[in-house]
Amino acid sequence: MMGAPLNTGQIVSGIGHIGVIGWALFGGVFTAEPLPFEVTEVTAISSEEYAALVAPQESPDAASDIVTPDAPEIDDATPDVAATPDEPPEVTQPDVTEVTEPDAIPDVPQPAPETEVTDEPPVLEPPSEDVAVLLPTPTVRPKPRPAPRVAPEPVAQPEPDTAIDDIVQEETTPSEEAETVQDETEATSPEEATTEIVTEAEELAVLAAPTASLRPQTRPQRAAQTEPTEDTTPSTDAVNDALAEALGTGGTDTTPEPTGPPLTGGEKDALRVAVEKCWNVGSLSSEALQTTVVVGVKMSEDGKPQTNSIQMLSSSGGSDAAAQQAYEAARRAIIRCGASGYDLPVEKYDRWRDIEMTFNPEKMRIK
Amino acid sequence: MMVRVLTLLLALSIWGLPVSAQDGGPLRIEITEGVIEPLPFAVPDFVGDGGAAAELGRQISDVIAADLTGTGLFREISPDAFISQITSFASPVQYADWKAINAQALISGAVSVDASGQLIVQFRIYDVFSGQELGQGLQLVGTQDGWRRIAHKVADQVYSRITGETPYFDSRVVFVAESGPKDVRQKRLAIMDYDGANVKYLTDSASIVLAPRFSPSGDRVLYTSYETGFPRIYVLDVANVGRQALENQQGTMSFAPRFAPNGQTVVYSLSTGGNTDLYTMDLASGANSRLTSAPSIETAPSYSPDGSQIVFESDRSGSPQLYIMPAGGGEARRISGGNGRYGTPVWSPRGDLIAFTKQSKGRFHIGVMRLDGSEERLLTASFLDEGPTWAPNGRVIMFTRETQGEQGRSSLYSVDITGRNLRQLSTQTGASDPAWSPLQK
Repeated sequence: MMGAPLNTGQIVSGIGHIGVIGWALFGGVFTAEPLPFEVTEVTAISSEEYAALVAPQESPDAASDIVTPDAPEIDDATPDVAATPDEPPEVTQPDVTEVTEPDAIPDVPQPAPETEVTDEPPVLEPPSEDVAVLLPTPTVRPKPRPAPRVAPEPVAQPEPDTAIDDIVQEETTPSEEAETVQDETEATSPEEATTEIVTEAEELAVLAAPTASLRPQTRPQRAAQTEPTEDTTPSTDAVNDALAEALGTGGTDTTPEPTGPPLTGGEKDALRVAVEKCWNVGSLSSEALQTTVVVGVKMSEDGKPQTNSIQMLSSSGGSDAAAQQAYEAARRAIIRCGASGYDLPVEKYDRWRDIEMTFNPEKMRIK
Repeated sequence: MMVRVLTLLLALSIWGLPVSAQDGGPLRIEITEGVIEPLPFAVPDFVGDGGAAAELGRQISDVIAADLTGTGLFREISPDAFISQITSFASPVQYADWKAINAQALISGAVSVDASGQLIVQFRIYDVFSGQELGQGLQLVGTQDGWRRIAHKVADQVYSRITGETPYFDSRVVFVAESGPKDVRQKRLAIMDYDGANVKYLTDSASIVLAPRFSPSGDRVLYTSYETGFPRIYVLDVANVGRQALENQQGTMSFAPRFAPNGQTVVYSLSTGGNTDLYTMDLASGANSRLTSAPSIETAPSYSPDGSQIVFESDRSGSPQLYIMPAGGGEARRISGGNGRYGTPVWSPRGDLIAFTKQSKGRFHIGVMRLDGSEERLLTASFLDEGPTWAPNGRVIMFTRETQGEQGRSSLYSVDITGRNLRQLSTQTGASDPAWSPLQK
């Protein structure tokens, strides 16, 4: 009685082994040897051909990288700056704050630490001449000083050029004085000017380079940061919540239970881009440029931010002072670009009544 | 167990998304891309209560505007564009009028002269778009002659209040004023406000002078003079222009002096028997101490702000490179690694960067690098750029640029450490070898 099952097992095993061996023998498992030899000829490809081959391979990557539509957006920012006159229409609203102003008027506190500006010139050589010559300099008000080099982050387009032009002129003027050595001076001074531009370009390249190279870093970060913000509770809680909700036992703990669908990615992006256009970090200290601030704002139904609801919720990466400057820049951005109302879907007002914006200058940093 | 885990994962994947999407909290977005551009500001003439005060008010607002604009971080809105005028310092600000011209910061002020002839300047800074005052109003008092300093101090407050950087406008620069053609150039020490105003000469042009350097408190200047035919180091009192030579060994050359942060020790180069090494001298006792003893040339020393280390230039590796060693001497580590010749290193007052001159491929550059030599960034390029000096806040670098040719002229330039905002200072004569003072008290 014991032999039969054993035999059956052995038979099954035997058949299996025979099958495997047979497949190995006839199925071509041991017959694939000759193939590798032909591969060697591939080495004949020249470097140009290789580059040609590689190029098409890379392009899809590049194309996929380009998906970020950021660059065109910031072009919009530049026209904005130039188009200051456009703004008058939106002026009416926020004047309310003036009411608070009167308290500020009465007294100017007197921190008189600066009192001693006694910078008595020690009796010296003929300073009067120099002073006389130098005084006019300040009196001529440098009105439209050409130097404000507007450098919108990605590619500086219109105005920066003019600024750079001015510098080029400065660069070239001395060479005209030096015309006695014609060949050399004329040759070098244009060079000098161009090198200046190159230097600016180098600098711009430095600006641009980190931005480009940082992108890959930032993306994961963005993902990493949205996750924690959206489900702030550890994953197990999320599971519990999910299960609870699935079972219908989960209590709705959020007060303004939003109705209707959430904002689409496009709608969120539009808001983000609109704020980014006004987020000017050009006048921030290096420390403030390392400070991320989270700013909360309540919105009116017309899409305008309620100015006095704006507050800093948290900051990281810098001192309190740096956070304050970073926050003020963020506040300016929210107010300025929201002056005529952000383009948000009214029917989803419940979804964007309160907004928390994280201003992360990592990509804008110039180290 | 495995099944349970899978179920959990499945539940998470199915329910996780809808849950986060249904989150009833605030809408959250992240802003990572912004713009970099100068911040537009308006500084109407400070209101003056009389002829002289009104004139001073106008000049003060001009200087404030020039200071802020000169940083490259701000852009002045022309007074022609103003919709409302500030006629009284006490009346409330019409924010709408300033918003309309996109003035993001507004500086208003008043100037008066009291019975004793003291100039009193009050001012406030407004964040126009949020309709708030930034900080509190301030009042400065000084002599009428010192109105430029008061203006610089106002601008300093505005600058640091808005940017978060420490200020630097109320500072001075000592430099070598140059006149005449290159072969018979006359040089004399001069001092001026950081913006080129109020030039005063500290020495005559009888002998060649080089490399002036401020003491940490700005009251004294070290420099090298060829008065005796050999380069010797002198220390000059800025207030009374009195000067005296440091004690040197006879017949040797000493140069490239610089104060330690304690203001008592001087580090310098001393050349004896064809070999140049670094020494320190205690000013009070005159005691010398040798820091290096290599057969190569060691020069251009500069202390770290805490006085614990010295960065200097040495050709011990065959070409001039930058090294850092302990302030008392000892093993030095090389920090410059790129191709080219590096010189005149200067430690940033913030302590985080070294500015230097680099010669490479026939051109000169002013650059900065971190203390370990990383993140080298060249800020300028020209026929001849050299001798960087830091603004008191470590944000701006001033240097000498010389043009080519017999008539080549030296002048002073400044550049932001980002490499932007390259500017030439207007000086009456040629100018070289600048050294920036600390912020004045």
